[in-house]
Amino acid sequence: MIDFWIILTASLVATTTAILGCFLIMRKMAMIGDAISHAVLPGIVIAYYLTNSRASFPILLGAAASGMVVTYLIQFFNQRVKLQQDASIGISYTFLFAIGIILISLFSNDVDLDQDCVLYGEIAYVPLDTLTLGGFNVGPRQVWILGTTLLIIAGSVFIGYRKLVLTTFDPAFAAAMGVSVVLWQYYLMAGVSLATVVSFESVGAVLVIAFLSGPAATAFLLTKDFKKMIYLAIGFGISASIIGYYMADWLAGSIAGAIATIIGVQFALAFIYIQFLRKSRISETLENKVLT
Amino acid sequence: MEPSVETHNLTVIYDKKPAIWNIDFTLPTGKIIGIMGPNGSGKSTLLKAIMGIIEPNIGYSKVFDKELDDVRTRVSYVPQRQSVDWDFPASVWDVVAMGRFATKGLFKRLSKEDNDIITESLAKVNMTPFTNRQISQLSGGQQQRVFLARALAQNADLYLMDEPFVGVDAATEQAIINLLKSMRDAGKTLLVVHHDLHTAQDYFEHMVLLNSRLVAEGPTDEVFTQEILTETYGGTLTTLSKVASALKEKDFPMRHK
Ligand SMILES: Nc1ncnc2c1ncn2[C@@H]1O[C@H](COP(=O)(O)OP(=O)(O)OP(=O)(O)O)[C@@H](O)[C@H]1O
Ligand SMILES: [Mg+2]
Repeated sequence: MIDFWIILTASLVATTTAILGCFLIMRKMAMIGDAISHAVLPGIVIAYYLTNSRASFPILLGAAASGMVVTYLIQFFNQRVKLQQDASIGISYTFLFAIGIILISLFSNDVDLDQDCVLYGEIAYVPLDTLTLGGFNVGPRQVWILGTTLLIIAGSVFIGYRKLVLTTFDPAFAAAMGVSVVLWQYYLMAGVSLATVVSFESVGAVLVIAFLSGPAATAFLLTKDFKKMIYLAIGFGISASIIGYYMADWLAGSIAGAIATIIGVQFALAFIYIQFLRKSRISETLENKVLT
Repeated sequence: MEPSVETHNLTVIYDKKPAIWNIDFTLPTGKIIGIMGPNGSGKSTLLKAIMGIIEPNIGYSKVFDKELDDVRTRVSYVPQRQSVDWDFPASVWDVVAMGRFATKGLFKRLSKEDNDIITESLAKVNMTPFTNRQISQLSGGQQQRVFLARALAQNADLYLMDEPFVGVDAATEQAIINLLKSMRDAGKTLLVVHHDLHTAQDYFEHMVLLNSRLVAEGPTDEVFTQEILTETYGGTLTTLSKVASALKEKDFPMRHK
């Protein structure tokens, strides 16, 4: 049963992040997950300071708020200051992370808090923290939280699909049609903040970042249809979760590490596959030319 | 006749430097109108300001005598081809279908009529055989035609096109201009950013000559003169000789009408 809960947890995170990752990659914002993982620190510290507890709900709220702040800053630097996307991401999250560190040192007398306790959630512990409803044990708390998050994200993307695709592919044309590019940018980023922050708590930041960019990148290599790219990315994320889990079990190693490794292997295999395909296609056309 | 586009003191400033300055004009309907000027003279900026893609710092514009928001479905914008990432995973059909979304809202499925319009638009630009092709596998001229098909699918009355002839071969250019002329004959207004002085008189009945500020605007016969072109393009040798040879062609018209 433990196997099942851990694989389900990873798969839920994989599905949510794969959907968002496809949009992020096409917007050249794949590293936003990395940025958010650092940028949430001040929100966490402030939430902790205000409530004086490590209860996860206020902390999640603080983290999500910081996630939105960093999204706003990135947008601001990129659009208003005309800084490149990657530079905007870099400067925004290091700035917020620095503020978080300063806050920690300010409150240091009574704070035993560091990023690790929130961000480096350990997937292996997920089955231990179960939820009881009306006297019944209904499974791990995280599975419920992640399941709800997935429903929210999948639903929002489904509702906004056309506008999200349009503003991703051709923002100028979208704006000319009267579609607010900035609004849909925030819509997407609100989803990314929610998904990453919730997932950090259960599977840790590194795995979330790997899930956000890896499966989407692999899928991008293999298809030229955006919808298929999303489905493929989900498939890669889930299969990496399953294979990674059993690999970690076999090696008695870190589950998150093993899953992240499989994500990398999937990408490498896809890359080799398309190189091979390209070569065989070239030699095929050459042969045809020679024959005719 | 109702004007297609009018601008009043339209000014856009990037980083303290004006890209367009105090542009004032009223353009007619039912014509193919050229927007010409050297690189960086604000042609793209002008189109974007009219379409509300960038907010003007000063001034305003109107389309069909109304606020843009009230007539958006009657206006179509064709961006510069290089402005999008053609590696985006989509087919030719997917991109042209975007032209139908404006009137569709979030959910409504494309109707049979929408599909027919898309098919027809692709046929008009001779892209039917490429309908299911991935956009990453198109040549530059084919990409341009996909953008045109998307605009056609919008079924608008006014088209703003940013350099539709860049990177297309002579045959395609001829096909596109014929298409534009048939659209004009159907009563549409076309505002086209263009670079080639030699073809300008053939293509456009009306012109806007731009060099950050408005140099001239009016029927081609009146504004396509040595004096105005020199003022637009400045005094560099190469552009001047281009102007001279363009004008020479004007004296010996090669129109086959
Ligand atoms: N996003 C921007 N930020 C800052 N400056 C800009 C921006 N876009 C354009 N400019 C500047 O504004 C001026 C006008 O640019 P615009 O693109 O409108 O010219 P153009 O006439 O379309 O040129 P081209 O013939 O090269 O397409 C140029 O000097 C350009 O450097
Ligand atoms: Mg331009």
